[in-house]
Amino acid sequence: MFHKILIANRGEIAVRVIKTCQRLGIPTVAVYSDADADSLAVEMADEAIHIGGSLPSESYLMMDRIIAACVATGADAVHPGFGFLSENAAFPKALAEKGIVFIGPNPHAIAAMGDKLESKKLAAEAGVNTVPGYRGEIEDADQAVTVASDIGFPVMIKASAGGGGKGMRIARSVDEVREGFQAARNEAKSSFGDDRILIEKFVEKPRHIEIQVLGDKHGHVVYLNERECSVQRRNQKVLEEAPSPFLDAKTRKAMGEQAVALSKAVDYDSAGTVEFIVDPDKNFYFLEMNTRLQVEHPVTELTHAIDLVEQMIRSAAGEPLAFQQRDIQIQGWAVEARLYAEDPYRGFLPSIGRLKRYVEPKEGPMGPGHLRIDSGVREGDEISMFYDPMIAKVIGQGATREAAIDALASALDRLHVDGLQANAPFLSAVLDEEDFRTGRIHTGYIEEHFPEGFNGTVPRENQLRYLVAASAFAQTVEAERAAQIEGRLIPARVTGERQWVVILNGQHFPVEVSLLPHGAEIWMPNLSSERVMLTTDWTPGQHLFEGKLGAEGFAVQIHNRTEGYSVRHRGYSATALVCTQKVAALHARLPEKEPVDTAKLVLSPMPGLIVAVNVAVGDEVKAGSPIVTVEAMKMENVLRAEVDGIVKTVACKAGDSVAADELLVEFE
Amino acid sequence: MKEILQELERKREAARLGGGEARIEAQHAKGKLTARERIDLLLDEGSFEELDMFVEHQCSDFGMADKKMTGDGVVTGSGTVNGRPVYIFAKDFTVFGGSLSLAHARKIMKVQDAALKNGAPIIGLFDAGGARIQEGVDALGGYAEIFQRNVLASGVIPQISVIMGPCAGGDVYSPAMTDFIFMVKDTSYMYVTGPDVVKTVTNEEVSHEDLGGASVHAKKSGVADGAFENDIEALIQIRRLIDFLPLNNREKAPRRPSYDDAERGDEALDTLVPPNPNKPYDMRELIEKVADEGDFFEIAKDYATNIVVGFGRLDGEPVGFVANQPMSLAGVLDIDASKKAARFVRFCDAFEIPVVTFVDVPGFLPGTKQEYGGLIKHGAKLLFAYAEATVPKLTVITRKAYGGAYDVMASKHLRGDVNYAWPTAEIAVMGAKGAAEIIFRKDLGDEEKMAEHVKDYEDRFANPFVAASRGYIDDVIMPHSTRRRLIKALKKLRNKQLTNPWKKHDNIPL
Repeated sequence: MFHKILIANRGEIAVRVIKTCQRLGIPTVAVYSDADADSLAVEMADEAIHIGGSLPSESYLMMDRIIAACVATGADAVHPGFGFLSENAAFPKALAEKGIVFIGPNPHAIAAMGDKLESKKLAAEAGVNTVPGYRGEIEDADQAVTVASDIGFPVMIKASAGGGGKGMRIARSVDEVREGFQAARNEAKSSFGDDRILIEKFVEKPRHIEIQVLGDKHGHVVYLNERECSVQRRNQKVLEEAPSPFLDAKTRKAMGEQAVALSKAVDYDSAGTVEFIVDPDKNFYFLEMNTRLQVEHPVTELTHAIDLVEQMIRSAAGEPLAFQQRDIQIQGWAVEARLYAEDPYRGFLPSIGRLKRYVEPKEGPMGPGHLRIDSGVREGDEISMFYDPMIAKVIGQGATREAAIDALASALDRLHVDGLQANAPFLSAVLDEEDFRTGRIHTGYIEEHFPEGFNGTVPRENQLRYLVAASAFAQTVEAERAAQIEGRLIPARVTGERQWVVILNGQHFPVEVSLLPHGAEIWMPNLSSERVMLTTDWTPGQHLFEGKLGAEGFAVQIHNRTEGYSVRHRGYSATALVCTQKVAALHARLPEKEPVDTAKLVLSPMPGLIVAVNVAVGDEVKAGSPIVTVEAMKMENVLRAEVDGIVKTVACKAGDSVAADELLVEFE
Repeated sequence: MKEILQELERKREAARLGGGEARIEAQHAKGKLTARERIDLLLDEGSFEELDMFVEHQCSDFGMADKKMTGDGVVTGSGTVNGRPVYIFAKDFTVFGGSLSLAHARKIMKVQDAALKNGAPIIGLFDAGGARIQEGVDALGGYAEIFQRNVLASGVIPQISVIMGPCAGGDVYSPAMTDFIFMVKDTSYMYVTGPDVVKTVTNEEVSHEDLGGASVHAKKSGVADGAFENDIEALIQIRRLIDFLPLNNREKAPRRPSYDDAERGDEALDTLVPPNPNKPYDMRELIEKVADEGDFFEIAKDYATNIVVGFGRLDGEPVGFVANQPMSLAGVLDIDASKKAARFVRFCDAFEIPVVTFVDVPGFLPGTKQEYGGLIKHGAKLLFAYAEATVPKLTVITRKAYGGAYDVMASKHLRGDVNYAWPTAEIAVMGAKGAAEIIFRKDLGDEEKMAEHVKDYEDRFANPFVAASRGYIDDVIMPHSTRRRLIKALKKLRNKQLTNPWKKHDNIPL
């Protein structure tokens, strides 16, 4: 076994690898960039070596510095994590020259699978299903029709040099092939200067299902079944689970065996993943092989009681696999959500910054299941612009899929992030959807279910009960305390009995609260048919309100703001104004304020730097014309006019730093 | 007999209706509550005791003799906020547009006198059309007598004004002399001369909102200390503010039970100050993590955002927080920030509210705009306010405390009671680079040498220990222990006794 392992990575995965090493009793070395000097991984590792600037190209991608760090610390093996150098065949070669072991597959396997064309060829040779298609060039529309008919409809006609949807056409009939071929060819010519066209089978509503494989240096390869990662946003996985709610034993076995065959073809000797797309008829086709640990590996670990990092270390150290295919069985279910620092209410723009408050729920029992959290941050850490803005992976485990989802959703309710916007409300919203709950998912799921983006969910009655009870209780505790202030004319009448109206999104909910030790008796006449017990130890100042309403456990995020309590449960957020009946009656009389017509305003969607201002006062602009360019996260975002108009004010200039929502330009 | 009693009830009913149903309806349609509804909301339920309900004006000119309405455009009286007494007057826009007659003015004076004599805060709710022109000089005299009482009460009892409708001309000066002015967005405006006069005199065309709306005064002029979305939010927040304030200048600010642990540490504060000295951070996070339950009532949030001021509590005891805000103009002191903070410090001192100051200040803002604007005198206001204050003064330097601004920000030298510094504090005449460039001007061309000089200066002053070695800093504390240390220090200062020499009054550089 190794004497010391260096982790050539950062954040959550570095912490993850260190944990396994600690359990195995192997000392660890962390490497870090400027931005990560105070990171959790650095704190947890036995040693830490600074390897350069914050940009990955100045640190985590610098092979020579990482190798020097191994030499300096005497590390005899390197775990690459994922991303960075994990799939660069040159890295294990360079390590080998210094006698250092790469904890991952052999360089030949990495290289073979890294080449997308080569890997498809190898896959076909190994008997792996690939998407049916015509590999050669198509000469004309007639040939296209012949080829398409051979493959079977629908087909995808696409530019050989293509990408980003340009020059792509879906054809469902001979006529559509004729039309589509010409159109695709023209587009290909104009977009890429290359009019070569390919035709392949178009897989409708595909699912993304991948097989985890594990090999050793003794020629053994097993498959640890599948993970389904169909819920994606712009090709970025959002929710992942194991097993798949879709596969049957037969398909699973067939996919597993093909994955093993491909792995064996390249002498695969570590953990790896063979990705497939699966059509609604359970036909599956090879996509690619990832020759590293996957982000979503925990769902496999939890459903197979196995530590994949440990297995990678053992294989790399030359140990043979300690089990065979027949020993492997799926136990229960696990669902993982990627918690990102992004604002789901603003088109998922990155929302980086300091984690002013960050409180994770405890790992262990959670709702009807179990919780695991893989994170690399603590309260006060910075989610920086230099790296992937993932905050943590939250994983629910349970005996059934439902239990696992419930555990995950309960955990997301209890996860408190402040200082930046996280995507927890969005994740919770997906977890609550009927189609997700019944496993009706595919890679276009998010576009299909959230065509207008995410604007919060409509509350169910139990959610209203939680929010109304929590905010009425909070107000009662605060009102009773306020009555104990010094200097009163008459002694406080602290009875613990209060009557309120909770105004939530314009709806009025009368509530009676009678405080009791550890909670209150609550009467919400238009939400429940009888008085219910609220059990809670919440006190003012806490941002997480955990309680039980009758027998139902729940957790609500609650912030006391000028306009009322800002509350959230799952994907539903609102402001709850708790007031007396008299005030509620007056409130009802106030006319609703017209929201500001934001079409006439250009607001900064995120904190950033103004790079260019393209208009001046008095300019006439057309809808869609560029107004201001804001740079954030090294990305230039062009803000465009929503409507035609004349510029009234320009409130910024190039070089200004602006906050989110700051007014930049106003139209008349 | 019974009929006589019923007559009283009838008269009361009529008075409560103010200007009548139609005008009440119009008031609501504008998004405003009536004077009595507002009072109901502000005070504890059932606590309002009205005065002078049956007052009518005595004017007979211009046909006013037959236009009389009980109450005469203002509702006055007293009540309680969370059981503590307050006096109140609320202009009734439904009666003569809330315009001020002599009788109306006398009603206000009566509650002003009572509040001052009995040592309780007074709150004015404004929504009125100015002087009742028919009354001529009587109205003007009425105004002046109100102003006089505002001034006499200043520093004796807290005076709060809430602008909830029009407030123009003579009406603006009474609020201007109170401690705090709050406004309601979209329904209130405040100016000395209205758009019509502005147009005649300067030919400038401007709307009510752009001339004196809530956003103008809360952001640009600094006249208002805050703006709220509607009447209800405003009045709920005024109740919250009252809970921080003593009834008068002979009492201490009221304590109330806290649910927050006085010993609570906050490890994340150890990383609040970024390693890069030029990178901003949000000072509000420190205030929110130090104050009980994160409860912070900020004053003038949108004006001079380079300094943050407001009320919070430490283990149940109200304090005033003053903090440079690195997020805005690097936390520099300029004219507006100095004025804003000076006024706040003087309020706290007048009412025995301890001042907690968090310092991260690179200095005073340079430039002709500031100098021409009188930065010297305005900056001196803050210096003056801190120096004369005799309340407990607790100071924590988190990062930069440069130059004269170091002195100003409640330094030891200005009778600071407890002056702490975080290990990240830098107390120096200026930043290391600037200092080295002056001291070693001859080496300016030599980059290597300059870097060395900068390093030397940093090693010498970019830490709190030189100041600590002189006793200017009482202790260097861990950021995470800030709350605990401040609470301990504050408790020991509860019986602090310090008086300034007798004087008629001081002569602060106005």
